[in-house]
Amino acid sequence: MAIQIARLRGLTEIGPDEILLGCLQALSRFGIAQFGLWTFDLDTLGIDWLNAPNKTNSPKASYSDAAVAIFDRAGQIARLDGCSDIHIEHLLVAFANEETGLMGDLRRRFAIDSAAWRSAAANLAGVRFVNQDESKIAELSVSPASREYLTPEEAAEALGIHVQTLRAYVRSGKLPALRLAGERSLRIRRADLDKVLEPLVPDKQ
Amino acid sequence: MPLFVAKRTLPGITPAALMSAGVRAKTCCAEMTQEGESVRWVRSFFLPSTEQTHCYFDAASKLLVEEANQRARVPFDEVIEVIEMTPDMV
Repeated sequence: MAIQIARLRGLTEIGPDEILLGCLQALSRFGIAQFGLWTFDLDTLGIDWLNAPNKTNSPKASYSDAAVAIFDRAGQIARLDGCSDIHIEHLLVAFANEETGLMGDLRRRFAIDSAAWRSAAANLAGVRFVNQDESKIAELSVSPASREYLTPEEAAEALGIHVQTLRAYVRSGKLPALRLAGERSLRIRRADLDKVLEPLVPDKQ
Repeated sequence: MPLFVAKRTLPGITPAALMSAGVRAKTCCAEMTQEGESVRWVRSFFLPSTEQTHCYFDAASKLLVEEANQRARVPFDEVIEVIEMTPDMV
């Protein structure tokens, strides 16, 4: 999201402001981000949320040193939170004490204090955990036999092979696989399982 | 798809900084994929005794791996093509 914001702004460097705007855009609906006590209108923050950046004309953007520092801080926060991945709430907490840039501006305009900001991020994490639990419940309620998309373990089971063999098929391109958006988990379309099966043709001497 | 390894020497790197670098590499690869380039971070191995990290990428070319790492601001010593072998393949 931050990279897309940088593209929208025609920037070649992604800084902390773009990361913060990217977080707010990820939380937004119809250009409005509700976060804790605050309502942010992306229009007033200079984000043309209706228009996707033009991939061919916009510049290629790299992270700045300041952006790297924000990610490093978010990594420390994620570790303290017992997570092995950096989530949006960790990035938002990384901004909690920022006095400069967009965060400094928002802090003054919306009378944001660090504790309330961190509290809002903590509540956001709670919502994510509830959503994860609900998706797990939904997944459990549909048996693999009736699902169109299978986990690597389920697909390996269906083919009667070890899951590592199945992963090798995916890596080599023999078996198409999809990645859940923003996650590492793979899914295999049931209809694609036939692609690793070849008819046995007897040798003609 | 060719496989490449980006070899890095990262003295004193912390687990949090490794996580940060991972997110940056992942997002830059995702962005380049949307741009129509073929580059994907597959996995990394950290070698604590040498403070080296080996990061593996599926990519159409070495240049794409270098570009993804430069855009992600993750330093590397060199990028070289590798050939994968697993017990399943022999």
